[in-house]
Amino acid sequence: MTWLAATDHKKTAAKVGVASIFFFLLSGLLALTMRAELAQPGLQFVSDHTYDELFTMHGSGMIYLFLTPAALGLGLYLVPLQVGAAEIAAPRLALFGFWLYLLGGLTMYSGFLTNNGAGDATWTATIPLSNSSGTPGVGMDLWVIGVALAVLGSLLIAITILLTIMRLRAPGMTMLRLPVFTWTMLATTFMVVASFPVLVVAMGLLIAERHIGGVFTGSTGSVAYQHLFWFYGHPVVYVMFFPFVGAVGEAVATFSRKRFFGYRALVVSLLFFTALSMAVWGHHMFITGAVKNQYYSLTSTLLAVPAGIEYLDLIGTMIGGALVFRAPMLFALGFIAQFLIGGLTGIIVASPPLDYHVNGSYFIVAHFHYTLFAGSLFGLLAGVHYWFPKATGAMLRERLAKASFWVLALGANVTFFPMFFLGYDGMPRRVADYEPRLGDLNLLSSIGAGVIAIGVVMVLVNLVASLRRKEPAGDDPWGAQTLEWWTTSPPPRDNFEAPLPAINSPAPLLDLREREEEARERRVEVPV
Amino acid sequence: MSTGPKGGGGPLVAWSAIMVALGVMLAIWTTGSTTALLFLLGPALLIPLAAFSRLRPAPGGPRLLARVSVPVVVIAIGAALAAIGVTGGLWLVLVGAEVGAFGLVWLVVEITGERRRAGR
Repeated sequence: MTWLAATDHKKTAAKVGVASIFFFLLSGLLALTMRAELAQPGLQFVSDHTYDELFTMHGSGMIYLFLTPAALGLGLYLVPLQVGAAEIAAPRLALFGFWLYLLGGLTMYSGFLTNNGAGDATWTATIPLSNSSGTPGVGMDLWVIGVALAVLGSLLIAITILLTIMRLRAPGMTMLRLPVFTWTMLATTFMVVASFPVLVVAMGLLIAERHIGGVFTGSTGSVAYQHLFWFYGHPVVYVMFFPFVGAVGEAVATFSRKRFFGYRALVVSLLFFTALSMAVWGHHMFITGAVKNQYYSLTSTLLAVPAGIEYLDLIGTMIGGALVFRAPMLFALGFIAQFLIGGLTGIIVASPPLDYHVNGSYFIVAHFHYTLFAGSLFGLLAGVHYWFPKATGAMLRERLAKASFWVLALGANVTFFPMFFLGYDGMPRRVADYEPRLGDLNLLSSIGAGVIAIGVVMVLVNLVASLRRKEPAGDDPWGAQTLEWWTTSPPPRDNFEAPLPAINSPAPLLDLREREEEARERRVEVPV
Repeated sequence: MSTGPKGGGGPLVAWSAIMVALGVMLAIWTTGSTTALLFLLGPALLIPLAAFSRLRPAPGGPRLLARVSVPVVVIAIGAALAAIGVTGGLWLVLVGAEVGAFGLVWLVVEITGERRRAGR
């Protein structure tokens, strides 16, 4: 109980991490079941109704219960350390947020224990599919309540991160000296605070619609719900992206032995990126005919500009650097390469005429799995492999880490690349059965899912084995640049025991090393 | 180590300004104003946060804070039970509310004790 109720931000973040891994494995098992069903045309293992539950709970679990909380959990652990604070602002609020998230997740999944099964109205719960006649039963109610609780929990965690950055920075840590990861977390929390309350309200209205009725009626009601949902639903994609750009940025700078290239350009692009990402929700509604397609197409296409700047910064950091290909760097490179495929196909669906063609097809499934799995998950794993020594004091097994990277990269591409062709050839998403002509690509995709499962097991084995037989990491095993590496591994309760070094840039430890190097050179030059 | 910096509101104001510009563009472009209003609500929530940070910087120095806070967990469980009561029935709402109220009182006692210790 002591650990479960601890207010230390590192322990709260660890709890978020453990819970998110649990929900990832659960939702991943649902995905494997779906891919087993789809390996051949026809119905093999599950009914249509069960399949609806599977894809609803898989998508909901991955978005509400895994990637979003994992991204915020990473920030909860690292932001106070990176800004030189002894704790998080409002530690009790963060703890409360974690418990709401955990209980929300369990509530969502408890739907499987009810008569009609779990929620099966897709992760978006579109009206009228999700109203009491479209999806009757307690399972869907539990889904709605669970989502509201989990999202509220994530919102509270984000608020504590935002307050920490604004109020608890160490002396000298000005806004333009914040580490790259902290900047991406700041941008993330802006979006969370602005958009997550809207989903909590939408879920409240949806439960009222299911029990009382008259809230979302007719076609205008359906469109109104979609506006509310996607006002949250698009920014959340970037909530699951920015923190990992930050994690990748830190890993790339450290393993390129260089300062982060274009820091100020990144800061400006992040502000534009977050604002624009709040302004694109209507592109999910192109086919409704109820939104101004020109506006949303323009803002969606404009996203390519700040995204391009971020890519330029990441690649610019590597150019001319002394690259070291340790496991975190491999995952970072995997993120950069694979997210690009997701991003570029995003430009395709930002265009209404092309979106009309591929909407509701497997092309969309491929697109967002390249952004969220092949992109964000690889970014998360870059962060996990990079900061694991700091959080635990132990190194991960390098060979196993590298092997798991290659297996996951192979699995991700074999699984998701064929889906572009399936979608373009007209395979609709969210169906348990399909035309026999699409069998080969579906089989390939299912084989890929099996490879991913092997990769995930390898990562988990590495985490457990490295914790059980510890290979000491030391305070700064990578020669990193930011303040969290100044303290011990793992950090003490109040984060820093030794006084902090002078903070004159976003890379204070690199400054320190350079000053020591200069002093050494001067000593060599002066004849004794 | 924490000395309550004041400059944190700058990025918020800059971001909110971009949001307002995009919202105005949406309002001009579309006939209905509901979506534009929805859009402008986002930064509206954040601006008071920036003002709060500016006007009331965090006090410097470490705080005396409970290392373990069980009442927070109790409140969360109460809130979840009450929410599930929407579908489970009024009895569950009442049980949840009771658990939540118990946790709240416990939390007040905990915080009062903390402040008393800090004052010594």
